[in-house]
Amino acid sequence: MDAALDVVRSGDLGAGEATAAFEEAFAAHLGVRHVVAVASCTTALHLALLGLGVGPGDEVIVPSYTFVATAAAVRYCGAEPVFADVVGPRAPSLDPERVAALLTPRTRAVICVHFAGYAAAVHELRALCDAHGAALVEDAAHAPAARSTRGAALGSVGAVGCFSLFTNKVLSVGEGGMLSTDDPAIAAFARSPPPGFGARIDDPRSALASSRLGGLTADVAHRRRLTHRYRALLADVEGVTLPFAAADVDDSSCYVMPVMLEDPALQVGVRTGMSRRHAVQTSLLYPAIHEFTAYRDRRPRLPLPQTERCARSEITLPLFPHMTPGQQDRVVTALDDELRRAGR
Amino acid sequence: MIDLTAVRTTEGDVRAVADCYASGWLTMGPRTTQLEAAFAAATGADHAVALSSGTAALHLALQAAGVGPGDDVLLPALAHPAVDGLVRRLGATPVACDVVGPLDHGIDPADVARRLTPATRAVVVDHRWGYPVALPPLAALLRGRGMALIEDAAHAVLAAGVGGGDLTCWSLSATKQLVAGEGGVVTTPHAHHADRVRSLRSHAMTSVTWDRHRGHAESYDVVEVGFNYRIDEPRAALALHRLPRLADALAHRRARVRDYRLRLGALDGVLVPYDEEAVARGTHGAFGVLFADRGARDAVATALTAARIASTPLDADGDVDPRALPHASAVRERGLRLPLHEVLGPEDVERVCSVVAGAVAG
Repeated sequence: MDAALDVVRSGDLGAGEATAAFEEAFAAHLGVRHVVAVASCTTALHLALLGLGVGPGDEVIVPSYTFVATAAAVRYCGAEPVFADVVGPRAPSLDPERVAALLTPRTRAVICVHFAGYAAAVHELRALCDAHGAALVEDAAHAPAARSTRGAALGSVGAVGCFSLFTNKVLSVGEGGMLSTDDPAIAAFARSPPPGFGARIDDPRSALASSRLGGLTADVAHRRRLTHRYRALLADVEGVTLPFAAADVDDSSCYVMPVMLEDPALQVGVRTGMSRRHAVQTSLLYPAIHEFTAYRDRRPRLPLPQTERCARSEITLPLFPHMTPGQQDRVVTALDDELRRAGR
Repeated sequence: MIDLTAVRTTEGDVRAVADCYASGWLTMGPRTTQLEAAFAAATGADHAVALSSGTAALHLALQAAGVGPGDDVLLPALAHPAVDGLVRRLGATPVACDVVGPLDHGIDPADVARRLTPATRAVVVDHRWGYPVALPPLAALLRGRGMALIEDAAHAVLAAGVGGGDLTCWSLSATKQLVAGEGGVVTTPHAHHADRVRSLRSHAMTSVTWDRHRGHAESYDVVEVGFNYRIDEPRAALALHRLPRLADALAHRRARVRDYRLRLGALDGVLVPYDEEAVARGTHGAFGVLFADRGARDAVATALTAARIASTPLDADGDVDPRALPHASAVRERGLRLPLHEVLGPEDVERVCSVVAGAVAG
């Protein structure tokens, strides 16, 4: 925080030394050649696709079970987002088999999302993309300190990784994002895109990001401990499926704590009850993109049953680094109580 | 070294940002709302929407004006390159108009009238250097034709007569009079434009109940393809804290512009655009002058660089066709931007002018 305030004090606020230093530090953290800090993760996704040559007439395979920016970035380029299903409630990330079924000669890229900070099937997707001549982009907005099953830093496996510094994220400064790549041409493009992108970050945010990066490992370790504890408590709650496995937690950045209700009909009632009766705020990650008004004229080529199931049954429980065991107990009690009232 | 731009912050500015960090709330919230209200009051606007950058402001203003495939957008040939890039990305055609002349770098209403067709969706005015372009003649041309008047006021914060168009785009970037870091604002008299800009700023998400049949009672919809053009609270806090001192900062800039004009106006081979009346009304986001030709201009730039004084030739973004756009072409070829900022003292201006004087004297 002091570093960011020093930048403000200097009056020299434009992207400069502090931004270069943050980029270098984050590149070292990931083990990639280039990191470019930008205005947001949405901007990073847009620049990543343009840098890969995605344009009108191209298709980009994306999950529908993600934040809308993943698909919007494809539409900014004039390309078509093609929605692929996720594996299911226990693995709510792109299903490589579904992706394979959607590959066409027009497929230029695939964007996978590391949902909640847990690795998507990134190596399988990379192999699929390589065989097809498409590029893999990792939307690692949730995953600034996470590993794949093979121990690779998320955001370093695909051609480009995109990260978020948004306020509620694991590494946050307010608004901001980063693009990671080993490809110097993509990095150069992202560094100086044609006029009209508004892609720049500024030095106070970069300085804040640098100082927060120093505490990231400890922060994520704490999130992992809280997640393990949540999983132990939730194991006794009937009617709830926990995404991912306990063994995945220590590779995850544990951005949020998602649970999937076995009966999707209860989602709204349980969330409302948790809020009204127990004063426990939850959120919903995510409504399916293909069901939004802005995407209704783009019918999925293949059905998305697992996406719809996840979107209708997910509840995101509170998770933040300074959360106390008492708060966690209260959340789990509230969930259990509401499920019981709803007749599970 | 004399820089092109510089900003002086106070301990109060630093505290405002520190308080924001300490609050723990960094995404758009009360400080952004306060900044929007204060900015609207300061500029006399009905609605103000704070954004991530001046470019974001231009983008969303063009989109709110309905600019899309098949449309023409008229813009001054000296417009910031972002305007041209954004118009093209929206699928529309940028149509460059000439500026009034070497002494007035605003868009020429007569050329606008010549190039206006039924395909014109919007006209973008650039209050270049912070000198307000007269809007009534342009508004009269567009009235009743479904064409929007958009102002690029990146250089002209608080200038009299700026903000009378349909959508006005302001910049809070690190080199501008009112800095947030990166930031921008759209102001408008039209509530529907403000609503659209606000929606597009954050991915066109609604938080209203959108489909009870599906049981998504607490969910949201996305009604069109939007963007992440949000500002955040630390940036809003900084701009908000600096806003009450902005008038003083503008007076400082105006005083330095008068110093420049007095000294450079007396030199042969230097053409100082605009007049005292314009200087009094302008808010001086930047300062530039013209020389006899490109060679003379380049000689001055070289001398300034050698004296460790920053400057930017106005053709840094490329040339324009001299037959179609004679005045804009001449301004680009002959123009040079000189240092102007809130830290620049009279002695700095004197140093810049003495180097210029030496160079033009050969």
